[in-house]
Amino acid sequence: MTEITSEKLLWIYERMRLIREFETRAAKLFAAGQLPGFVHLYAGEEAIATGVCAHLTDRDFITSTHRGHGHCIAKEVDVRSMMAELYGKEPGACKGKGGSMHIADVSKGMLGANGIVGGGGPLACGSALTAKVLGTQQVTVCFFGDGAAEQGTMHEAMNMAAIWKLPVVFVCENNGFAESTPVAYHASVKDIADRATAYNMPGLTVDGTDIFAVYEAAGEAIVRARRGEGPTLIEAKAFRYYGHFEGDPLTYYTDEMRKGFQARDPIARFRKQVLDRALVPEARLNEIDTRAVQAIDDAVAFAESSPLPVPTDLLSDVYVTYAHA
Amino acid sequence: MSSVGIIANPASGKDIRRLVARSSVFDNNEKVAILRRLLIGLDAVGVEAAYIMPDYYGLGERAADGLTLNMAISLLPMAVQADERDTVEAAGRLADMGVGCLVTLGGDGTNRAAAKTCGQLPLLAISTGTNNVVPAMIEATVAGLAAGLLATGAVDAETVSQTSKRLEVFVDHEFMDIALVDVAVSSDLFVATRAVWDPSRIKEIVLSRAEPGSIGLSSIGSAIHPIALHDDCGLHLLIGEGGTAALAPVAPGLVVPIPLRGTRVIALDTEVELEPCVGMLALDGERCLALYPEQRVAVRLTRHGPRIVDMRACLAEAARRGVFQGPMLAEVCDGYRD
Repeated sequence: MTEITSEKLLWIYERMRLIREFETRAAKLFAAGQLPGFVHLYAGEEAIATGVCAHLTDRDFITSTHRGHGHCIAKEVDVRSMMAELYGKEPGACKGKGGSMHIADVSKGMLGANGIVGGGGPLACGSALTAKVLGTQQVTVCFFGDGAAEQGTMHEAMNMAAIWKLPVVFVCENNGFAESTPVAYHASVKDIADRATAYNMPGLTVDGTDIFAVYEAAGEAIVRARRGEGPTLIEAKAFRYYGHFEGDPLTYYTDEMRKGFQARDPIARFRKQVLDRALVPEARLNEIDTRAVQAIDDAVAFAESSPLPVPTDLLSDVYVTYAHA
Repeated sequence: MSSVGIIANPASGKDIRRLVARSSVFDNNEKVAILRRLLIGLDAVGVEAAYIMPDYYGLGERAADGLTLNMAISLLPMAVQADERDTVEAAGRLADMGVGCLVTLGGDGTNRAAAKTCGQLPLLAISTGTNNVVPAMIEATVAGLAAGLLATGAVDAETVSQTSKRLEVFVDHEFMDIALVDVAVSSDLFVATRAVWDPSRIKEIVLSRAEPGSIGLSSIGSAIHPIALHDDCGLHLLIGEGGTAALAPVAPGLVVPIPLRGTRVIALDTEVELEPCVGMLALDGERCLALYPEQRVAVRLTRHGPRIVDMRACLAEAARRGVFQGPMLAEVCDGYRD
């Protein structure tokens, strides 16, 4: 496994804690009627986005899903601008016009959360093709869910990435359910990585609740993509604490499943692993816990005090005007 | 009643070695197809019942779906944990039930888990994993015939199988776990993707066997001192500069020179004390246990491993005894008419 420094470990913990805190707060705010639109929460899957993005720079790209908050935070999108976006406020990442499912920040290589299930695959191929043609060594990571794995767009994207040997890493976040439909009901193969052979790319399955498993696999796949050896399909098996969307009654979760989730909590596992190895002082982790709460408090206060977009801005940033040569 | 137990691991053949080496994805639909052929082979020689471990993928249900056989097929009534515990529990149950043979579909890790509880139940291992020493790449139809011959008593298991060796791991004098082929120390700090694949991280290996033609860590031993399943000895390798080197296929598509600072043949029932270190202990190629310098870790080589069936010897014995022809064949055919 790629060596991992104590600074990187602290970064990982900070990102995971920020994601958890952001999602916990978003759930409360939504329940209180503070947030317009839908929110789909990522808590439980923190190790996937963080373990992957730990290998990326701002120059690399990711495409995301409707459950995109975790990807944004792992890619270091500012949580203030994210929260303001959820509130539909003017300083939001998309000026308050996108909401939870359309947060984007190209300066951070975050090409956008995506309300279309399976919409990220073709986008990832586009940015990867650009990187390949320009020879920039940039890598694009395409996060998608087990539900999106059944969409035609993802099959087309993985086929195209393979035939053109594009620098894409496809990361299937298999949380066991497409909305409320179990994988066994919607997938001809329950292990999505099994399909890699048909796409002619390496495929592997990792425990998506173990940050070190994700980190190791993603590191190798990203290095491979940078070397020009083409795409990889990583299936990270995990779970989500919350429903498909906030308001989902979660009738498909059993008490036994919920107990199992607690035992596999990625943040608790990370803490135990690094403390057992004495890789970072516990006090540093506790400081990060405190800072994460403060950062989200600050983000909420910022969002609440920010103005709504003005009606005259309704059509700005909707169409792009290209300069003629 | 003649019966056979089947354990098929839905998780085998999917780890990081698809990415860092050139291993193939062993997809579960292929395992279903293998399982079907196995069941057909068992049925063809008159086995009356097959008991299959349930799993998260539903390999057993899918294999039985649409298959019309005389043999009864059922799943073991057990909860699925979707990890190694399923194999351990299923193997124990099948041993208690007194099935005539246990067939596994998986890699060395699957067989290691089965060996914890299967006792001396004849074990016929089909490879659907990555680095495989215990299981063989064999056609499941034929494996089914062989397992069926043992289960029906047409061939005496004693004559075509042998008790294998195993490596018993003790931490601070307490028994901790077993491996069937190799115990390795790696400098990795975490279980992470489980597989031991980076040769530069391996520090020390203890092998129960090192046969030419094998792949994985045991191939390092086989390159310098081959040791067979029946040999009453094993091998202890210290990895690092200062001695010779062995060119070894440590994973499919990954052939590298491994520097060796020491090699030693170890006798059966002796113990090897591992060098203290910070790292991971890997059992049959999978990182399992965190190691700390203050621990005393020892590995004992014994002949307490599972009873491994020699499939070809079984079929040869059956042919010698005329099982596939004449009156005995008629007996099997009568079973179909019933």
